Amino acid sequence: MGWNRVAVVGAGLIKFGELFEQSYEQMSAGAFHASVASVDRGFEPSQVEAAFVATQRGTLWGQEGIGGNTVPSAIGLAGIPCTRIENACPSGSDAFRVGAMAVASGVHDVVLVIGVEKMRDKSTEEGLLSRAAAGHPIFTRGETAPVLFAPFATRHMHEFGTTREMLASVAVKNHHNGALDPFAHFQNEITVDDVLRSPPVCRPLHLLDCCPQTDGAAAVILVNAGRAHEFTDRPVYVAGFGMGTDHPYLHEKQSFVSLKATTLAAERAYAMAGVGPSDIDLAEVHDCFTITEILDIEDLGFVDKGKGGIASLEGETSLTGRIPVNTSGGLLAKGHPIGATGVAQITECWWQLRGDAGERQVATRRGYALQHNVGGRGSGVSVVNILTTNGR
Amino acid sequence: MTPVRILSAGAATPALRLAGADVDAAWGRLAGRGRAAVCAPDEDVLTLAVEAATRALDAAGLDPVSIDGVWWGTSRPPFAEGPSHAVLAAAVGLSSRSGGALLSGSTHAGMEALLAAADAVAAGSAQVTLVVASDAMRPGLGTAFESRAGAGAAAVVLAAEGGTASLSARVTRTRPLLDRYRADGEATTRDLYDPRLFREEVFLPAVREVGEQLAALDVREWSLPDPDGRLGAVLARQLGGGAPVSAAVFAALGDTGAAAALLGGLGALDAAGIVALVGFGGGRATGVAVTVDAPVAGASTVAHALAGGRATTYPEVLRARGELVASGEIVPMGVPPGSASFVRGAEEMLGLLGARCADCGTINTPPSIHPACIACGATKFEVVSLARRGVVHTFVVNQTMPAPFVAPLPIAVIDLVDGARVMLQVIGDGDDLRIGSEVELVLRRYAYERGVPVYGFKARAAGGPPAEGRGDRERSAP
Repeated sequence: MGWNRVAVVGAGLIKFGELFEQSYEQMSAGAFHASVASVDRGFEPSQVEAAFVATQRGTLWGQEGIGGNTVPSAIGLAGIPCTRIENACPSGSDAFRVGAMAVASGVHDVVLVIGVEKMRDKSTEEGLLSRAAAGHPIFTRGETAPVLFAPFATRHMHEFGTTREMLASVAVKNHHNGALDPFAHFQNEITVDDVLRSPPVCRPLHLLDCCPQTDGAAAVILVNAGRAHEFTDRPVYVAGFGMGTDHPYLHEKQSFVSLKATTLAAERAYAMAGVGPSDIDLAEVHDCFTITEILDIEDLGFVDKGKGGIASLEGETSLTGRIPVNTSGGLLAKGHPIGATGVAQITECWWQLRGDAGERQVATRRGYALQHNVGGRGSGVSVVNILTTNGR
Repeated sequence: MTPVRILSAGAATPALRLAGADVDAAWGRLAGRGRAAVCAPDEDVLTLAVEAATRALDAAGLDPVSIDGVWWGTSRPPFAEGPSHAVLAAAVGLSSRSGGALLSGSTHAGMEALLAAADAVAAGSAQVTLVVASDAMRPGLGTAFESRAGAGAAAVVLAAEGGTASLSARVTRTRPLLDRYRADGEATTRDLYDPRLFREEVFLPAVREVGEQLAALDVREWSLPDPDGRLGAVLARQLGGGAPVSAAVFAALGDTGAAAALLGGLGALDAAGIVALVGFGGGRATGVAVTVDAPVAGASTVAHALAGGRATTYPEVLRARGELVASGEIVPMGVPPGSASFVRGAEEMLGLLGARCADCGTINTPPSIHPACIACGATKFEVVSLARRGVVHTFVVNQTMPAPFVAPLPIAVIDLVDGARVMLQVIGDGDDLRIGSEVELVLRRYAYERGVPVYGFKARAAGGPPAEGRGDRERSAP
């Protein structure tokens, strides 16, 4: 393919959580400085030629209509080109994909991809729950975020015998990983019983089946691979990316046991990277709810359709399992600051592939890591990015 | 008068039943008897009217577009000034060319609707007419009639010929006197008179005179007004009869206001003989004699409508009526009723319309957001009215919702019998909901948004009275 190879030479994030004390701008600066500090041979901020910023919902922090100029100003780079990407839950992973295309095309050699999200400046009622009153006056009325995924849980349980214990095992595993991740929102272990006994939110999903509302920011630095060694001896490369869409309303879904946007994104990313699911050493996938991770690992091809629940229960996706999933703690434990989520997942893949993940380091035999988000109305938008250490 | 025929009948009652003793306890009074039917938060005079009208049309086997107009009587139209009649017509599925009228201003409105619709048929200006009388009384807090203020709806289909009954006589008496009263801008209705004054000088003279005129006929059953729980029986004695057939309806539902006269006698249309319907309100009393030759279609289902309902509490009723309101802000609807999308989507929301792909037959719902078929991408469609029955494909139950939503709030993806798939809120707590559950779709008030009632269909467990082809028959798009 006629495009330049792209390398990730820096990545970093701020500790996720309820960051009432930090502004959107301060979070942006924190993530940017962390990514700059991570570059092995040092990085001069003025080398950034262009930035792509992912923020899903400006409405969540009170400044509707934010454009691409807020972040450059906050990180001392006012004046550079900066595009804001708002594309539902995959906003961060899409910004990474678009940033990679900007380098691959040859237009830019050094690009910043940064995701920033203020989830907690507004109350839950005003922020997330308000979506239940948005959209179509009748057909989406009452459609909170869990309503986008809970119908899939109901149907998955019906068709494949998936149980609440299987769902709970996803949350238990991700909290275990999150407890090993100093950047995670939650750093405590939980049990299957804790999940089962937590209050119902949107049956069949209970509180601990759901990710929290989290503030956060993450940033990565992409360069033309031909220049990667100016910055590090251990670059990580973009092997492939893919994106898929599906109809935006739930009643337009053909299937309630699979997310078509994910399968399309995965097909395209695998084809571009020239690899398949069995080549992946670890995956950071979209686990906004426990059922989502079960759908993801099936739709990404790590397990057969219908086997996601039992695979999770039996530990196939744990740190020492056949295919470790969400080593960072995932959205369930690390948190889900929407625009930052995908960029933070890329950061985790970068650490894991470089062997820098500390206590949660997994074996990387083939040198491939996969990152995935899915979301939006009808869960109709998905992005998959595949990173590799091969070809250094 | 020219005999006008009755083709069919239908009735509807709201979801809740309030015990009078519960109300009395709240006000520190001795516990009284009786109970009243009360609207759930998503029900009102319009949703009741749609349900009763739909049942009457189903019983007659009529496609709504064949109806020339609807005459609707209610003391409380949902829009004090606005498209009450037009919204009813669209929700029932009548043609945009249909006529009719909204009669209001007192509890006499139900009888006015019946007579006006009959007159249109008799005059030949309409062939087939729909009459709906519905009400949901909203009594002043602490009033003597509060615990008896009920809600319900009755509908009949009239035509110049056909059917098994006819309207055979009518009497009206008018005096310029107050009774129940609600001023412009007031939310609730109050009692004005001393009870004895009302009984002796206002109510009994007018209604008795009407009744005596009809009593000259060989009346088999009476439907008589009963504003306080005693006057109905007094009136029946003065007319020389036993307990009127309407007594059972009052016992089950309380005083259903403008619906009371028709609803009280509807069940009696299931046997031959003369049934006298007497209504009162706004200084007027009207009696109509119905001569039944053979059971009227749908009349036997009235008992089923009376038997339903879930016991409720006084606080739940106050909350449903908007009189017990949580403090704090209410999440507004993202699409205000004044916005263009409500204009574009008005018919498709009220009529539950879909767009059937001319190429592959897939039904896309709703039409306005589907210029291309979701299955094949083609762009030619036929607008259809969706089936009103289906099966649950999958569902959830929201357990935590901010105001104005009330949890638990079930939402289901439903495969309708015509092949369309929709996602709608489900009435009830969702405890009995299963994949494969059969549901029917009924109009409900989704929100009271920026002062405007917003209506759309919801699903509920299939049940209701058995009626020929209920919800399954082909519907034409208006």
